[in-house]
Amino acid sequence: MSGKDRLESGQAERLRKAREMDWRKVLRREISVQNRLTRPRHNMPEQPVANRVRNFLEVNLGYTLELARAEARRCLDCGQPGCVAGCPVAIDIPTFIKYIEAGELDRALEKIRETNGLPAICGRVCPQEVQCERACNLVQAGKEPVAIGHLERFVADYLCTRESTGPLPTESRGAEPGKCKVAVVGSGPGGLTAAADLARLGYQVTVFEALHLPGGVLAYGIPEFRLPRAILQSEINFIRALGVEIKTNFIVGRTASLDDLKQAGYLAFFLGTGAGLPSFMNIPGENLLGVYSANEYLTRVNLMKGFRFPEFDTPVPRARRVAVIGGGNVAMDAVRTALRLGASQAVIYYRRSRAEMPARAEEIKHAEEEGIEFNFLTVPVRFLGNERGQLRGMVLQRLALGEVDASGRPRPVPIPGSEFEVEVDLAVVAIGQSPNPLLIKQLPLKLGPWGNIEVDYQTMATGLEGVYAGGDAVRGGATVILAMGDGRTAARSIDFYLSRKKD
Amino acid sequence: MNRVVLVERLVPNLYRLVVEAPEVAASARAGQFVMVIPDGKGERIPINLADWDKEKGTVDLVFLNLGVSTRKLASLKPGDRVEGIAGPLGRAPEIPAATEVLLVGGCYGVGGLYPLARELKQAGVRVIFLAEARSRAYLYWQERLKKFSDLFLTVFRSDCLGPAQELRELIKKIKSGHPDLSLVLVMGCSYLLFKVSEATADIQLKTLVSLNPIMVDGTGMCGACRVSVASKTYFACVDGPWFEGHGLDWKEYFNRRKAFLSQEEQALVRLDREFWKRTE
Ligand SMILES: Cc1cc2nc3c(=O)[nH]c(=O)nc-3n(C[C@H](O)[C@H](O)[C@H](O)COP(=O)(O)OP(=O)(O)OC[C@H]3O[C@@H](n4cnc5c(N)ncnc54)[C@H](O)[C@@H]3O)c2cc1C
Ligand SMILES: Cc1cc2nc3c(=O)[nH]c(=O)nc-3n(C[C@H](O)[C@H](O)[C@H](O)COP(=O)(O)OP(=O)(O)OC[C@H]3O[C@@H](n4cnc5c(N)ncnc54)[C@H](O)[C@@H]3O)c2cc1C
Ligand code: SF4
Ligand code: FES
Repeated sequence: MSGKDRLESGQAERLRKAREMDWRKVLRREISVQNRLTRPRHNMPEQPVANRVRNFLEVNLGYTLELARAEARRCLDCGQPGCVAGCPVAIDIPTFIKYIEAGELDRALEKIRETNGLPAICGRVCPQEVQCERACNLVQAGKEPVAIGHLERFVADYLCTRESTGPLPTESRGAEPGKCKVAVVGSGPGGLTAAADLARLGYQVTVFEALHLPGGVLAYGIPEFRLPRAILQSEINFIRALGVEIKTNFIVGRTASLDDLKQAGYLAFFLGTGAGLPSFMNIPGENLLGVYSANEYLTRVNLMKGFRFPEFDTPVPRARRVAVIGGGNVAMDAVRTALRLGASQAVIYYRRSRAEMPARAEEIKHAEEEGIEFNFLTVPVRFLGNERGQLRGMVLQRLALGEVDASGRPRPVPIPGSEFEVEVDLAVVAIGQSPNPLLIKQLPLKLGPWGNIEVDYQTMATGLEGVYAGGDAVRGGATVILAMGDGRTAARSIDFYLSRKKD
Repeated sequence: MNRVVLVERLVPNLYRLVVEAPEVAASARAGQFVMVIPDGKGERIPINLADWDKEKGTVDLVFLNLGVSTRKLASLKPGDRVEGIAGPLGRAPEIPAATEVLLVGGCYGVGGLYPLARELKQAGVRVIFLAEARSRAYLYWQERLKKFSDLFLTVFRSDCLGPAQELRELIKKIKSGHPDLSLVLVMGCSYLLFKVSEATADIQLKTLVSLNPIMVDGTGMCGACRVSVASKTYFACVDGPWFEGHGLDWKEYFNRRKAFLSQEEQALVRLDREFWKRTE
C-alpha cells in the first residue's frame, strides 16, 4: 500500500518549510544535483556467506558513519520527494537524510521518531523496495534509489550504542496522574507503538502479552540473523522508560477477560493480537513427525533459543534435507534457519514464480547467496511417511500460471499428471497465518472473511465502544510498519475518545 | 517471576509444587492447565491445575519427575522463583447434564482431577473416583479425594494395565452397578487414556480424555499440539485438552509425542552431569 493519497496537505506544507531552512539550502548548494547523480549506491557491508550460514549473527553489519554520510550525499533533497509519499507512515525522509549529511545524528533520529517509534527495527525489516525506495526520485532518473532503510537503521543503531543518549527529553514525561488507564493487548509492533504514543500523551498504559517475552513476531518469528534481540530489547526498554507497564504471561480472554479488565478500571483498549494462527495445507500426511508449522519451527529457534540446545532446554528438529513451503518472509526465515542448523539441502517450494514472491528483496537475495534452492510453480499434494510415522518425502505437483486472480497475481493452476516425488526429512509449512481467534471470538466484534477484525481505517475503531484494533489482527499477514501505523492512529483516536468522554 | 511457596514429594516420582500466580488462581476452572517456564533457559511445559487458592493467590501443580523441566521444578525450594506461569489455558471439559460421573486418574492425573471431583460433587453429581497407580506406595491424596467422591476405588498397574482385558472388565462392572453413569473423564499417562477409551468404547460410554501432546506456546500459535479426531485436526491447547477418546487417532497421537525423544534424553544426561559436578 503506497501512501501517496495519504499525504495530508499539512504534511506537504511542513515538508516544504523544512526544506526552505537555510542549512538545507547550503547543503543543496554544496554539491550539485549532477554530481550527486554520479555517485553509486553504497552497499551494505555483510558477513561473508561462508561464515554466516553457520551462525545466527546478523547478516548485515551496518553502515559506518563515513558510509552513511556518503550515502546521504546521494539524496537530492527533492522538492517533491517521492519517498515520503511511499512511506506508510510518511516519515520526513529528506530532512533526516540531510541531518545525516550534516552530521547531526541526534536530530536525524528525533525526526524519524516523530513518526516512527521503532526505527532500528523498521530499518531492518521494512520492505523498502516496494515503499520509500521504489518511490525515490532517483529511480526515475535511472539510478538506484537512496538506501533509505540502511540509513534509518544506521541512525537508530548509532545512537543506541552511544551511552549518552537516553530517551528524548520531550518523550520521558511518563503517565500524568489523573489521566485514565488504557489496556493494550499484544506486544507486537502495533501494540508497542500504541502503548508508547498513549504513554507520551500521559495515559497509564498496560500492555498484556500472552507469551513470556514481549515483541510479538519480532520476538518469536523474525530470526536473530535479521533482527538481533539486543536491538528489540533496547526498543522495549525505551518504551518501558516512557512509563508503559508490560505484563507478560497474561492471556487476555483466559487470564482475565476484557470485561474483567474493564472492571479493573481500563477505559479503552487496543487489540494488537496479531495473526498467530498458522495455516496448514490440509493434505494427507501433514501430521507426520517432521512436518512443522513455520510458527512452531521459528518459535522453538527464536523465542525459546533452541538453536542453542542443549544449553537452552527447548529442542529444535535438525535434518539433512529440509523443504520449506511458501514464498514470503516467513518461508525465507525458515529456510535460512534450517541452513544455519546444519541442513545440507534447504529448499523452497513456492506455488507461483519468482516475480510473485512476497518476501523482501533483500531476503531473497541473501537466501540465493547462501545457496538456498528455489523451486517455483510446485506445490506438495501429499507427505509420505515411513513405518515409524516419520516424514520421508513429499509428492509435489507442477503448476502453470493462469489468469490474474483477486490478489492481482496470475493464479497457479495444476498441470495434470505432473506429480513427482522428493526425499525430505523435515518440512516446514509457511503458507500464511490468520488472526488468533482466542480473544477475538469471545467479543461481539464484526469479523471479516479471514476472521480478521473489521475497523474503520480512519480511526481503527471496531464496532465496540472504546475498543480499537490494528496490525495483523485487522489486516491478516501485513507488515511491521503498517501495524505501527495502525497503533499510532488508534492511540490518537483513543485520546480523542477519552477526552471527549471526560466532558 | 513467580515465587515458590512449597515443593513436596508426594510419592517417589510425583511432586506437588505450590507457587504464587494470583491472576491464574483468580480465573482458574477445573480441568484447565498452565504453561510453566522453570528458569531463564527453560522450556515451556504444560501442567494441569491440581488446585488453587484465590485468597492466597497460589496454584498447586502435581507433576511427574520425568525430564529436564520437571527435574528443575522438583529441585526448587520455598522462596525460589520460576521464570513464568501462564494461564489458565485450555477449555474446561464440557460436561453434559449427568447424574453420575466416573473419574479415572493415573499418575499426575490423580491430582489433576481433584478440582473436577470437587466441582462435580459440589454441583450435586455423584462421583466415582478410580485412582490408578503402579502400586499402593504410589497413591496420594486419597483423603482429599474421598471427601469429594461417593465411591473411591483403586487399581494397581500389576492388576490391570498389563492385560487390558481386566481394565475392561472393571469398567464394565462399575457401569453395570451404576446404570446412571453416563460420562467418564480420564487424566494421566497416555497409555491409561488409551486403555480406558478402548474399554468404554465397547459399552458406548462417553469418555473425555485430557490429552498431553507436546506443546510450545499453549495459546494456539504453533500447532505442535495438533491431534486428529474423526480425521479433523485440532489444536489441543485451545480446542482441548479434553477430547472424546473414541474418535481420536491414537496411533498418530502416540507417534507425535515421540518427536524429540533423543534430544530430551540428551538434555537430561547433560543436566544430570551438571548436577553431579555441582554436588561433588
Ligand atoms: C517469520 C516472520 C517474518 C516476518 N518478516 C517481516 C519483515 O521482514 N518485514 C515486515 O514488515 N513484516 C514481517 N513480518 C510480518 C510482521 O511481523 C507482522 O505484520 C507484524 O509483526 C504484525 O504486528 P502486530 O502488532 O499486529 O502483531 P504481532 O507481531 O503478531 O504480535 C501480536 C502479539 O499479541 C499477542 N497476543 C495474541 N493474543 C493475545 C491475547 N489474547 N492476550 C495477550 N496477548 C496476545 C501474541 O502473543 C503476540 O505477541 C514477518 C512475520 C513473520 C511471522
Ligand atoms: C494439557 C497438558 C497437561 C499436563 N499436565 C501435567 C501434569 O499435571 N503433571 C505432569 O507431570 N505432566 C503433565 N503434562 C505432561 C508434561 O507436560 C510433560 O511431562 C513435561 O513436558 C515433561 O517435561 P520434561 O522436560 O520434564 O521431560 P521431557 O524432557 O520432555 O521428557 C522426559 C523423558 O521422558 C521421555 N519421554 C517423553 N515422552 C515420552 C513418550 N511419549 N514415551 C516414552 N518416553 C517419553 C523422554 O525420553 C525423556 O527422557 C501435561 C501435558 C499436557 C499437554
Ligand atoms: S525521493 Fe530519493 S532523492 Fe528525493 S528526497 Fe527522497 S530519498 Fe532523497
Ligand atoms: S501448543 Fe502451540 S498451538 Fe498448541
